Amino acid sequence: MTAATFSPARPIFCAGCGHFGVGAALEGAVDALAVPRHELMVVAGIGCSGTVQNNMVAYGYHALHGRVLPTATGFALANPALTVVAAGGDGDGYAIGGGHLLHTFRRNPPLVYIVMNNGTYGLTKGQDSPTALVDSSPAFDAIDLGLAIPGTTFLARGFARLPDQLRDLTRQAIEHSRSGRGFAFIEVLSPCVTYNDTYAEWDSGLHNVDEDPDYNTQDRLAALHMSMTLKSEGLQPVGLIYQAPVREGTVARAEAIGPADADVSLSANREQLVSVMESYRIY
Amino acid sequence: MTLTVDAKLADLTVMVAGQGGDGSLTVINHLSRVLGHRGFQMYTSRDVASRIKGGHAAGVMRASIAQRRNVGDHVDLLVAFDAEAIEKGGPRVSPHGVVIFDGSLGPPPAGYLPDSVEVLSIPFGRLAVRDLRRDLFKNSVAYGVACRVFRLEDDEIEANLREGLSRFPDSIIEANVGALHVGLAYADDAGLIDRTWQLDQQEKSPHLLMTGNEALALGFVAAGGRFYTGYPITPATDVLDFLQRWIEKFGGIALQAEDELASINMALGASMAGVRSMTASSGPGIALMQEAVGQAGAAEIPLVIVDCQRSGPSTGMPTKPEQSDIGMLTTGGNGDFPRVVLVPSDPTDAFEIGVTATNVAQELQGPVYVALDQAVAQNSATVALFDIAAVEVKAGGQIGAAQIDQLNEVRRYLINDSGISSWAPPGTAGGMSLVTGNEHDEWGHVSTEPGNRVRMMDKRARKVDQVLGDLPGALLGGDPDAAIGMLGVGLESGPLLEAAERLSDHGNPVSVLIPRTLWPVPKETLDFINAHDLTYVVEHNSSGQLASVLRSVGAPADRIASLLRYDGLPFTAGDLVERFLAAEAGQ
Repeated sequence: MTAATFSPARPIFCAGCGHFGVGAALEGAVDALAVPRHELMVVAGIGCSGTVQNNMVAYGYHALHGRVLPTATGFALANPALTVVAAGGDGDGYAIGGGHLLHTFRRNPPLVYIVMNNGTYGLTKGQDSPTALVDSSPAFDAIDLGLAIPGTTFLARGFARLPDQLRDLTRQAIEHSRSGRGFAFIEVLSPCVTYNDTYAEWDSGLHNVDEDPDYNTQDRLAALHMSMTLKSEGLQPVGLIYQAPVREGTVARAEAIGPADADVSLSANREQLVSVMESYRIY
Repeated sequence: MTLTVDAKLADLTVMVAGQGGDGSLTVINHLSRVLGHRGFQMYTSRDVASRIKGGHAAGVMRASIAQRRNVGDHVDLLVAFDAEAIEKGGPRVSPHGVVIFDGSLGPPPAGYLPDSVEVLSIPFGRLAVRDLRRDLFKNSVAYGVACRVFRLEDDEIEANLREGLSRFPDSIIEANVGALHVGLAYADDAGLIDRTWQLDQQEKSPHLLMTGNEALALGFVAAGGRFYTGYPITPATDVLDFLQRWIEKFGGIALQAEDELASINMALGASMAGVRSMTASSGPGIALMQEAVGQAGAAEIPLVIVDCQRSGPSTGMPTKPEQSDIGMLTTGGNGDFPRVVLVPSDPTDAFEIGVTATNVAQELQGPVYVALDQAVAQNSATVALFDIAAVEVKAGGQIGAAQIDQLNEVRRYLINDSGISSWAPPGTAGGMSLVTGNEHDEWGHVSTEPGNRVRMMDKRARKVDQVLGDLPGALLGGDPDAAIGMLGVGLESGPLLEAAERLSDHGNPVSVLIPRTLWPVPKETLDFINAHDLTYVVEHNSSGQLASVLRSVGAPADRIASLLRYDGLPFTAGDLVERFLAAEAGQ
């Protein structure tokens, strides 16, 4: 018998919201890789973007504001059988949760993180986010941050209006984490049609590296140079911007053992417990 | 000029003090082990500054036939590495005491010691530099001299030192053994051997020497704990150290997070993945974690949160004990949610409560706090071997695929009589769920519907009733028929029990209750207060937080009086006797 579980909700997004594209790309990538839905853990943040888990058939968790990455890291380290996808907005990931981003780059846990960047706090009605284009304060660029941290292994940027590429980047990101290579970061340019409609700016302001046959995704320095150069021209790169070569000792998640695999019964651990206790014995 | 004591010594307090880095705590550790081998019950505490090296640092150790969970009123032997050690520790030395002073830089300062105290000036530092060319070895010289005062055999002195240094390379061990013999020889040349104490010899039974932090961490692992996160903070870091050393052998992970927010949220993720999880910190870190504790309550996620309380508020006095987080632990966080607060009083308790907290979190599907204080957390004591065979590992409402196959539907937040819904960790076929700290319906969908809201709040509140029977009961002491009660937790327990003995001997019987469950307040705690004309609530904070909690659940205000301390020092039994008698005289 198959037990009934929750029915996915209808998205709360406004008509035309970029987040529809993110949800569709995630569904498409998961299907393309045939990830069993009960092994898919979607961890979402707070804000409009923090509702994607409600719309999917998967295990879903609505994390505290800014704590998507630590929570997702907990899931990923605890059970290697899970495909962990963290998702949230730019306020959640770059403002209140910004500190965790650099440590997650550094730690490189096996999970995917999709940041839906719209430059605004939509759910609270339009305050500036760290990626807002404010004259006196240039926008924060998480890809540049990632390139500057040695532990980073996967950096990509997509655009909600380039759905095929976004689905493909999402698929590559999931493959990257499931193969044990580590943390796969995708920033999705995902306009908020109500408070910060940037479709037109992004339609004309992107440089697609996936279309450049000479672009080397394993050259960190070139990637940083390109990103900085484009920025000075008012552009930004999309596509797979950087992917570290496979490191020695990489173990596919399917082969890995984690705490969730441990037999916690007393009978299985009694001898070991006694031996630890005995090491504190003084007579 | 003789140190010979006629009676065999059955209760001895030793202080070793100097500058941080002198090795005072190392000497205390060596002495505790060697006297432990003699069958004494040991208790050791520390008084250190919050800095890596330097600053006055003292270790205090009590060796006694009776089990005492506190240091004595007076210091019988003071090993002083510098003048400041005499200035600070001198006033605590017993009139019959002995002081061994590092005379490398001159005579001890005058005016700090009772006249009757015998001072042996021995140049540890100079001997270490002269014979071993390193000042660092002076603590092993001092250890040797102190052992001579106890009239211990050379073989046992040396074997114990080797055991204590076993994790170091051979060259370090041999250099320290050399230093030890320099100390022994000097003591013998000075004629110390003719004028030493005679220790009572005890029957030995197997014992551990552990801190509360270590014992608690072992209890967590015994109850199936396999995921731990922590951010370094005094006095909780030892939990991280212990688990980083051991948990891998059990297939678990102990991780140092980037901050306390990451710590507790990582633990929430791992816990939802079906792995029993814990995080520990001290007051400032626990304050940062409050939002996530509420998340564990609202989203119904099992979690053990350990608070090794230190002196607050804010950064406070990091190395000093206090019990001033009781208010935060019992009522902190936004909104109402069920929680449990347990409080161990010694390493045995800490082990058992580590087990209980892990199981209760699993059954409650919510936050369980373990409240230690710096003294219970870091002071070590000899305890009987833990009863590992008695450990139970409880699953609570966690189910797997086989159980789901028997169900028609899986409602993560099913409302039922017990309030406890079944849940399956991700990876379980057929058990998919939505988990959220937003108010939600039974399926986990966000809901603000008024009727659902009330039903969900009530459902979560009901869960506490299901775990009441599993919460640890109080320890009792003193005279149960006394009209006056004394009540305290954690570091108060040792001095309270000893003070009650002394008060009883002097015609002032008191009855003692040491609760081990703080929240929900157990019926036995209120019964105790109602059964006595007056109960003194002894606590380490300035506002009487525990007394407030007790009044908040119906303890009559006119049956409670507070005995408070917040200067960073523990009570001794003598302090409590004095405070009690003064309070009684004023009633």
